[in-house]
Amino acid sequence: MSLDHFLQWLDATHFSAIMRESVWAEPLVETIHVLTLTLFLGFVLLLDLRLLDLALRRKRVSEMFEQFNPWLFRGFAIMVVTGLLLFSADPVNFYSTLFFKAKMIMLVLAGLNVALFNATLGRRINEWDPAPVTPWKVKLAGAVSLVLWISIVACGRGIAYALPPP
Amino acid sequence: MTGLKDSILAFCVWCNQSLVGHTIRDSVWLFPFVEIFHLLALAILGGSMLVLNMRLLGIGFRADPVSALARDLRPWIIGSLVVMLISGFLLFTTEAVKMYGNWAFQAKMSFLLLSIIFTFTLHWRVTNRDESPASVRWVTALVSLILWTGVGLGGRALGYVTTAASSVAP
Repeated sequence: MSLDHFLQWLDATHFSAIMRESVWAEPLVETIHVLTLTLFLGFVLLLDLRLLDLALRRKRVSEMFEQFNPWLFRGFAIMVVTGLLLFSADPVNFYSTLFFKAKMIMLVLAGLNVALFNATLGRRINEWDPAPVTPWKVKLAGAVSLVLWISIVACGRGIAYALPPP
Repeated sequence: MTGLKDSILAFCVWCNQSLVGHTIRDSVWLFPFVEIFHLLALAILGGSMLVLNMRLLGIGFRADPVSALARDLRPWIIGSLVVMLISGFLLFTTEAVKMYGNWAFQAKMSFLLLSIIFTFTLHWRVTNRDESPASVRWVTALVSLILWTGVGLGGRALGYVTTAASSVAP
């Protein structure tokens, strides 16, 4: 099944119709998506700012990961589920916007950034964490993440404006 | 009360007709552009408040004393609040008169006023000290969470509440 077929199939499902036509479904899900920005994106940005030595400098980075990650994962799960629900309401039109494609690509890039960090700098965290300033590579990882997430928010907002009116 | 209501309405009309209101309203991309700042500041403000309140509730960040977390996060809380207020005001100027009669907007502003007062008085005091009894911490965190959630829900709802520009809600 090609992607186009999948999008059309999803669009034609009963579930998609409910998401699209219900008065409450879309506002409710979007509200959860937006308010969970505080838990997920807020924590991501605080971590990025820590990697950049700009926030919470008193705390070790390893300590930050330990304390923030469990909540960050929960927030991410809520963002993904609510995001998929919003997408399923209008999959063909979502996919037709440049903002949606850009957002998905940048989400993948943000994931790759985390994977790369964990595989390299994260493995040697005990070597650089006690130092008063983070190494430039760590700062770079934080900056890349920060730029990606700001762009992801921008694209998310863009989707709403690029979609054809209901 | 009528005098106050009239002044608020006059202020809304002035905002609507201001250069800023005009410029953002007439531009295709300025409104969403300002919204992005509003959302990013929401993440920082909400995230920082969550950290403090989760610490008060004892469900996270227990390695640090409350006062230390509060000291570290305060510049970010105040900075992001300022960005939220400025970006929010800019968005408001584009449809100030409509917002005047929008019950969700009125609720949001009421919650916002209470949230700000609470944050800089009782919440501030409780997060500044590490000896408060657990019950005081609990109540402080819950009130803070409820008030700020009220602001957020009001913000979400105001877009869905459609009011005629001239109507005035009770």
